[in-house]
Amino acid sequence: MTSVARPAPRRLAAFAVASEPGNERLALAQVAEAVAASGLPPARLERLKTAVAEATMNAIEHGNRGRPEVPVDVEVTQEGDDIVVAITDLGGEHAPPGPAEEPDLLLKLEGEQQARGWGLFLIRNMVDAMQVRTDGPRHTIQLTMRGGGATPVPHSGGLEGGGHEGSGHEEEL
Amino acid sequence: MKEAAMKKSCEAAVHPVGGAAVIELTGEVDGGAAGVLNAAYEQAVESGEPGTVVLDFARVGYINSTGIALIVSVLARARAERRKVVASGLSEHYREIFDITRLSDFIEVFGDLDTAVSQLAGPAA
Repeated sequence: MTSVARPAPRRLAAFAVASEPGNERLALAQVAEAVAASGLPPARLERLKTAVAEATMNAIEHGNRGRPEVPVDVEVTQEGDDIVVAITDLGGEHAPPGPAEEPDLLLKLEGEQQARGWGLFLIRNMVDAMQVRTDGPRHTIQLTMRGGGATPVPHSGGLEGGGHEGSGHEEEL
Repeated sequence: MKEAAMKKSCEAAVHPVGGAAVIELTGEVDGGAAGVLNAAYEQAVESGEPGTVVLDFARVGYINSTGIALIVSVLARARAERRKVVASGLSEHYREIFDITRLSDFIEVFGDLDTAVSQLAGPAA
């Protein structure tokens, strides 16, 4: 079997934000700054920013339960042409937020689903791959934006409400 | 650790145009916009019983998942009241999100407010 050597990851940024409402904006701004020179096309950068904001918001609200003294750690690396953003809270193993079922707009309009529950759906549709792993209290969602201009395919089904299988789960989108 | 982000809270201006009511939004459409958006909708429909509500996002720089949920709630209420909702001024990115969430199946999207208003005034409205 032939193996292809992957380039060593290059850290572009590592920072933490306090678990306070609105700090997802800080995270997306710093990630955008970190990847500015990476050549990520503007439309894909916008998608990454939305995914980072939603994942950070989940980490603040559902992982760290809004405790300002508990940080959300964000690490941005470049692996070859790929941009990888890891967002870590200290909530341990926890179910993804939102309803167990895939968001369905018609059901929401008819009052059969809550209006909320779009966060994970947006993340999955914005990035090329999403991996969730838990190591003790550290719960990490890793977002990958592949180089070369790949466009995420609109996604249905998957992790919402049931994506934590064992200590890690990767979804290629 | 970084301090809390400076939020640009949501503001709304409401004005009638023909048989429609226009809600011009400014700032960020997130969970904190609930009161502003709901009050704007109330104001929009309480005078003149508009058949169409236009949500203009030209001055909105950020919409998150809770903002999407607010828009869903406004749409649900408008549908129950047999009103049409249209949108204008969305960036390409948020237009894509309207497509992915299927909001654009229920909310006609126009490039800008002038186009939306002219279409509403025309025979195709």
